[in-house]
Amino acid sequence: MTEHITADAAARRRYDVVIVGAGWAGSALAQRLGDKGWQVLVLEAGNGDTDTWPGFLDTLSTFRSAVAKVPNSAYRPNAAAPSPNVLDLAPVRNPRPGEPEFTAGGYFAQNGPLPYGTDYLRALGGTAMHWLGAVPRMCDEDFETRTRYGYGRDWPISAAELQPWYAEAERLLGVAGNGQEQHNLGVVHDSRYEYPMQEIPHSYIDRYCKEAVEGEFITDPVAERDYKLTLYGLPQARNSTPNPRYRPDAAFRVQGAVGLPNFGERCVGNASCVPICPVQAKSLPLRIQAAFPRSVTVANRCVVTRVRTSGERSVSGVEYRTYTDPASPVSRPYVVEADVVVLAAHAIENARLLLFSGLANGSDQVGRNLMDHPTVLSWALGAEGKGPVGPFRGPGHTSGWEVFRFGEGRRRRAPFRIEIGNWGWGWATGAPMSNVATALGIGGDEQGEVRPDGVFGPELRRLLGSTVGRQLQLQLAVEQSADPGNRVTLDSRHRDAMGNPRPVITYDLNEHVRDGALAARAVAGEIFHRMGAYDFTDHAPRDGVPPLGHFVHKGADLAYSGAGHGAGTHIMGSDPATSVVDADQKTHEFDNLYAVGCGSMASVGTSNPTITMMALALRSAERIHDSLATARRPVEIRTPETTEATA
Amino acid sequence: MITATELHEKGFHVPRDLGELRTFLQAAMEVEHLTIPVYMTGMYTIRPGTNRTAYFAIRSVLMEEMLHMTLAANLLNAVGGSPRVGRAEFVGKYPAKLPFSSDDLPPVPLRHFSPDALETFLRIEQPRSMTPPLQEGSGWTSIGQFYDALWQGLLQIVDREGEHAVFPPGREHLQVGPDDFYNSGGEVFAVHDTESARLALRVISEQGEGVSDTIWDSNDLIFKEERTLAHYFRFNEIRTGRSYGPHDRPKDPPSGPLIDVSWEDTHRIRGDSKVAYYKRFAATSDVYAQAVEFNSRYAAMLTCLDRAFNGKPRVMALAVPIMLELRDRAEQLHHNPHPDPALAADGIFASPTFELGRPQFDAAWQAVDADIALAGFASGEPVDLSALTPATGETFA
Repeated sequence: MTEHITADAAARRRYDVVIVGAGWAGSALAQRLGDKGWQVLVLEAGNGDTDTWPGFLDTLSTFRSAVAKVPNSAYRPNAAAPSPNVLDLAPVRNPRPGEPEFTAGGYFAQNGPLPYGTDYLRALGGTAMHWLGAVPRMCDEDFETRTRYGYGRDWPISAAELQPWYAEAERLLGVAGNGQEQHNLGVVHDSRYEYPMQEIPHSYIDRYCKEAVEGEFITDPVAERDYKLTLYGLPQARNSTPNPRYRPDAAFRVQGAVGLPNFGERCVGNASCVPICPVQAKSLPLRIQAAFPRSVTVANRCVVTRVRTSGERSVSGVEYRTYTDPASPVSRPYVVEADVVVLAAHAIENARLLLFSGLANGSDQVGRNLMDHPTVLSWALGAEGKGPVGPFRGPGHTSGWEVFRFGEGRRRRAPFRIEIGNWGWGWATGAPMSNVATALGIGGDEQGEVRPDGVFGPELRRLLGSTVGRQLQLQLAVEQSADPGNRVTLDSRHRDAMGNPRPVITYDLNEHVRDGALAARAVAGEIFHRMGAYDFTDHAPRDGVPPLGHFVHKGADLAYSGAGHGAGTHIMGSDPATSVVDADQKTHEFDNLYAVGCGSMASVGTSNPTITMMALALRSAERIHDSLATARRPVEIRTPETTEATA
Repeated sequence: MITATELHEKGFHVPRDLGELRTFLQAAMEVEHLTIPVYMTGMYTIRPGTNRTAYFAIRSVLMEEMLHMTLAANLLNAVGGSPRVGRAEFVGKYPAKLPFSSDDLPPVPLRHFSPDALETFLRIEQPRSMTPPLQEGSGWTSIGQFYDALWQGLLQIVDREGEHAVFPPGREHLQVGPDDFYNSGGEVFAVHDTESARLALRVISEQGEGVSDTIWDSNDLIFKEERTLAHYFRFNEIRTGRSYGPHDRPKDPPSGPLIDVSWEDTHRIRGDSKVAYYKRFAATSDVYAQAVEFNSRYAAMLTCLDRAFNGKPRVMALAVPIMLELRDRAEQLHHNPHPDPALAADGIFASPTFELGRPQFDAAWQAVDADIALAGFASGEPVDLSALTPATGETFA
């Protein structure tokens, strides 16, 4: 188990490195730098205890008793270090033209015009506590969309430079995947690459979809091109069978549970990866933390409020506040000093810290370029004659159609990745609970009376078996490119219980992204049609109530959901005038201040960003180590005068 | 339990030749398996959501017994034997006489989670250091001594006949490795020489009894995992309602913080319930049919293991889903009142009987081989069970 110290103890000494945030990136950096012998302090704003067995069981039962199984439903609310929640948004009935179609409560203040429907988690382990575990690499062209396709921003580093770091991250996370297939797809350069564990088996739905439409050509009406459907498996960070062909020199050891050493299983398809895997087959940062070297110290409940400067180009440490009762507004301030400060607190939190500290913003890009993967959900029922499709089994998705991520079509519209959902209409409609409610007649009629058409007993079972069992859902994750207008700002009127400024979000989808969403919706409809499935997708307002994320584009009603992939807020680039951090994730303006995580990404492509973020974090750990080692080398090393005599 | 019982009756002795060594190893598998229905009953009778510490402690031991059984199978294969698991003779009848232990011990019954059940568990796992030493020719006193004798015999035979004769080549494909078995308390590995055999026996004895007169197992030393309590001491924590402190010694009672154990949160059962008795109430209760089905699925699970230990390690992937199914079936039975109204009125619940005879296994072999033929078990590829049909006619709608 990781050893934790109090906020008070943490402030009693100096460190080589202080890291803000104990999620994936912070944990990986702490482990790497600790292994090199540097004294590292990790400050986590949220509560700990998720790394203990009672803590894990508590999250499990919190999830099980939650009415809405949203990503944060397994984790207890914390007013001292609040997290955004997808339930914070509500639609507005009969919205006035030009006005936002939603209202936002909770942690974010939202300016619109569109809702930023994405959450994260402030707790030990970070948002990775509820992540899905999908780890597809970005493709080569994602790193240079401006040069190749004339939109978005280019990265200062190439996909080729990141390849070894991707491989390193895949070992650290424990990824199950098909190396050959990912090479054929073009995202893995090494033709003999093997993942540490064998691919997670494809779901029955994958097979159903493959049999129905593999090899078919689908016309994208926006790009005005035909795309051939080829199904690819998804690399996933969850335990499967160790791959005997993976690095014979350094075999991979499957890691079990944190908190109870002899627990933890391979993925057995519990189908609740988000928000929690009940057998801890899903990889978590807590695993890295459990193996922290002695030189790494973690302090929970330490909310960092400001980065402190000590000169023109250097920072000296951070200020943080600690709380005992999360419900009370009382907190105590501390200062801790370190040679290097690393912000690894999530894209939006990193931006919030930099803005509140008034640092590293000569480019005026801090907080700007906020990105996500606006996800267009499409849902249908499989043809009755073809029988059930077997939803709600296995991880969230195990395969997808990748072809719309690539090529010249990106000039005309944003690219998108099609995930074949394994969890029925869960994301789109709240199935299967919503199906039960509908079948029972819950909700009543317009007068509020009990509806007469509710069913029960054998008829209820038959109805549910027939409707739930054929649910197909496609999740089309559209790339959102960097757009300086999408931004996080601070406003002293909006504060959390501790008095810290809350993020104020201004968010929209530009024409290119909207075109991508339009194409995605059309493609999904065509795929359903070819499968003989009955398309139930409906993004139009119903009874005057628009769905969340609703917009009208070129005459079509569309809607998107947030994917939880916040990025871009301290964007990476080689020019200090237009970017916040360099390729090493070091801020341009300070020699010892780093901002790591998805906030550094210049573009997010169509891949779930964690694996790219981790590759970047491992690369940065190496650079931070170099800078610390360089700073400590004596200026001149004198050769002993007696060398020759004694030799 | 044929092999173990026969060996037990011959009294304490060290195996003298390869044939006897193989007999000992077959007996070892039987003994490891004997504990599984006992621990399963103790664990699954706990009311869901209560006694969580106890539940996960029993579960961890149960999983490690499966590891021990698999390591014994690997060792038996390595020395030229063939594990026999899918047959009625492999399974004990409960209450079962515990082989290689004192004849004064009462037979081991199936018991719901209770102080009595924990006493039984403790007796099964009792370390050698807590039992008196013994002479060749006298009776056995502990399972630890049995494994000691096994190791002594193996060493002597290797000395006499040479390592190559004891571990013949060409048997690597019979080994179950980490590709096919995973339980995270320790790790399964291939056995192919004296050194790996020593390690296998060490894992078995140290997870059960602890390392050289401590309360700790050797998962940290052997597998670089976190150190945990040996089985006896994990059970003793539950029995006493108190956890061990870091400096407690084997003979000390635990001195650490209290553990929340609520003995009343259990589904009380009659461990001697038999299918034949349930049948009398078949007209009023489905427990009979469910108990019959449980036994046949249990036989199927053992049959899968037999195939896995005899040249098809990948069939382990077929056994694991049946284990999960058995968990659900056991819990369903425990949630139902005993079919005998008199017992039900007493607050007694139904329970699996673990009665496995020829008919169950005959049927299991057919079903399992049919499933193996359907499943995708290509070596080096992900296991694919999707071609399998559901084992029962029960459908969702």
